Amino acid sequence: MPNDSTVAKNDILQTSAISQFKKSIAPRIREIRFSMFLARKSLLAMIGLAIVVIIVGIALLAPILAPPANNADPMQMPRDFHTPKPPGAEGYLMGTGKLGTDIYYGVIWGARTSIYVAMFVVLTAAFIGIIFGAMAGFYGGMIDEVLMRITDVFLSVPGLILAMAVCAVLGRNLENIMLSLTLVWWPSYARLIRGQVLSIRESVYVEAARAVGSKKTRVLFRHIVPNSLAPMLVNTTMDIGVVVLVAAGLSYIGFGPPSGTAEWGKMVADGQQYFTGTIFYEGAAYNPWWMWVFPGTMIFFFVMGFNLLGDGLRDILDPRLRR
Amino acid sequence: MRMRTFVIRRLLLLIPVLIGVTLIVFALTRVGNPAAAYITEKMSETQIEMVYEKYHFNEPTYVQYFYWLNGLVNLDWGISKTDGSKPVIESMATYFPATFELTMVSIAIAVFVGISLGTVSAVRRDKPIDHATRIIALSGVSLPIFVLALILQFIFYSQLHWLPLEGRYDVSLYLESGGFTKFTGFYVIDTILSGKFTMFGDVLFHMILPAVTLAFGTIAIITRIMRSSMLEVLNLDYIRTAKAKGLPNKAVINKHARKNALIPTTTVVGLSFGGLLGGAVLTETIFSWPGLGRWSTRAVLANDANSILGFTLLTAFVYVIANLVVDVLYAYLDPRVRLG
Repeated sequence: MPNDSTVAKNDILQTSAISQFKKSIAPRIREIRFSMFLARKSLLAMIGLAIVVIIVGIALLAPILAPPANNADPMQMPRDFHTPKPPGAEGYLMGTGKLGTDIYYGVIWGARTSIYVAMFVVLTAAFIGIIFGAMAGFYGGMIDEVLMRITDVFLSVPGLILAMAVCAVLGRNLENIMLSLTLVWWPSYARLIRGQVLSIRESVYVEAARAVGSKKTRVLFRHIVPNSLAPMLVNTTMDIGVVVLVAAGLSYIGFGPPSGTAEWGKMVADGQQYFTGTIFYEGAAYNPWWMWVFPGTMIFFFVMGFNLLGDGLRDILDPRLRR
Repeated sequence: MRMRTFVIRRLLLLIPVLIGVTLIVFALTRVGNPAAAYITEKMSETQIEMVYEKYHFNEPTYVQYFYWLNGLVNLDWGISKTDGSKPVIESMATYFPATFELTMVSIAIAVFVGISLGTVSAVRRDKPIDHATRIIALSGVSLPIFVLALILQFIFYSQLHWLPLEGRYDVSLYLESGGFTKFTGFYVIDTILSGKFTMFGDVLFHMILPAVTLAFGTIAIITRIMRSSMLEVLNLDYIRTAKAKGLPNKAVINKHARKNALIPTTTVVGLSFGGLLGGAVLTETIFSWPGLGRWSTRAVLANDANSILGFTLLTAFVYVIANLVVDVLYAYLDPRVRLG
C-alpha cells in the first residue's frame, strides 16, 4: 500500500528531525540533568530553597493569611491597646506585644518588608556594582585605579557602622536604611565583577567579537558582562539574607520604622522591653518570650534559607565539582 | 629588608584610603545644616552669625574641609550632645576601654573555638562532629546577634539564674567591696591592680554572655575557613610524607597541617574585626555594656550626628590599621606571598 511507504518515509524524516533536535539539545539536557543531580544530592540547598519558597509564599499570601484591618496602611500591625497577651489568648495565634500589637500579623507582613528591603538593596547595589566594576575591569588604567580606590575607601569602614552614620544623617526610617545599605553594598559587587571581567576580557570569543568590529560598549555589555554574572548569582542570593540581617540590626537599634510597623527587627526590640517583666493574663503569670521569639525566628530562617540556597548554587555553578 | 619596604609601601597606601574615609565622613557632616548643632532657639541673628564665623560654615566647602581636617588632627572632633556637651574625643576616650576589652576577649574566644572546631571537623570529615560543626557555623551566620543575645539571656539569666543579665559588674557588690580604682578602664586589669579579687571574678562573670554573643558570628566564619584550608592542606604531599615516615596522627595534624592551614585563617581574623566592631554596637546595647557601641546607639536616639560620625571615623581608623597588621602578619607567616 502506498500509504504505508509514505508513513514510513515520514517516519524516517521525522525521526531524523527528532534525532537532530535531540543531538542539538543533548548537551543542554545533560547540563540540566547534572544540575538536578547536584541539587538533589545537596539536601541542604533543597532545604534552603524550601525555606525561601515558604517565605516568599507567606509574603505573597499575606493579605489572605492575615487580613489587614486597616487597608490604607497594611504594614501597621493591628493593636488593641491592652497589656500583652500570651499566644492563643483571644484568638491571637502568637499573642500580642507592645500596645497589644498582633504578633502573628507582624510576623506575616514582616516577610514583605524584609523581601522588599533585601531585593531593593541587593538589586540596586548589584546594578551599580556591575556598571562600575565592568568599566574598571574593561578599560583599566586611570578609570580602574580611581574606581578601585573608591571601593577601597568604602570597604575600609565596617558596613554596619557606615550604614549607621548615613542613617544618622539622613533620618530614621526604612527608606534611609535601604539607601545606606545600598551605599555600603555596591563596592563588593564592583570588586567581584571587575575580577571576572579581567579574566573574561582575554577569552577567545571576546577577541572574536572585537575582530568583527563590535563597538567597545557592545563587547563589554553583550559579551563580557553577561558571562561574568554567574558568581554574582551566588553572592546576591546569599546577600539577600545578609541584608535582612543587617537591616534588622539597624532597625533594632532604632534607625528603622516606628514601633507598630510590621518589621521583624523592630518587633524584637519592642519585645525586649518586656524581657525581664512578667505578664499576667487571666490570673496566670507568663514570661513574655513570644514577643521576640517569633520575629527573631523568622529572621533566622530567612537568612538561613538564602544562605543555604546560595551555598547550593555555588556548588552547582562550580565547575571544579564536575571532575 | 624587603619586608621593610613592603611595610612602608602599605603604610603609604593607607594615606589615600584614610583621606577617602575623612572625605566620606566630612560629606556626611555637610548633609543638612552642620551649624544646627551649635544653634539654639534663644540665639539672636548676630550670635548665629558668630557661630557661622567661628566654625567657618560660611566659607566654600573645600575650605571647610581643611578646617574640619585641621580639627580632626588637633583632636577637636566636635561636641557630643549625648554626653551633656562633652567633646566627642573625650567621650570616646571614656568608652573605648570597655569596647576594647570586650572585643579582645571575643576575638580570643572566637579564634580558639573557631580553630579547634575547624580542625576537628576537617579531620573528621563527614562524621557527626563535622555535621554538628556545620550547623553551628550556619546558625552563627544566620542568627541575628540581638536574638542570640536574648536567647542566651533567657536561658542563663531568666531560667537558670546562672549569669548576670547586663552591665560590667554588680553594683551592690561593688559598693560592698568598697569599689576599685579605675586605672586603665580595663576592669579585668583594674580589679587585679586594686587587689579586689571578688570583683575580678564578678567582672569576668559579667563578661561571659556579651563576649560569647559577640564571638558567635566570628566563630562561624573562622570555623568555615579553617575547615576548608585544613582539608586542602591535608591532601598535600608533605602530609602524606609525614604520615609515611610514621609520625603519630596527632603530631601530623598539630605540627604539620595546622600551621599551614592557619595562614588563610589569619586574614579572616583581621577581616572579621570589622564585623566585631559592628557587632559590638548591638551587643553593647543589649547588655548595657558602657562602651562605644552603646554610646553610639544612644547618640542615634538623641539625633547626635557628631558623636556617630566620630565613632565611624574611629572605627574606620581602627579597622584599616587592623587590616594592615594582618597583611604584614600574613606576609611574615607565608614566605610565598609576593612582597610587591
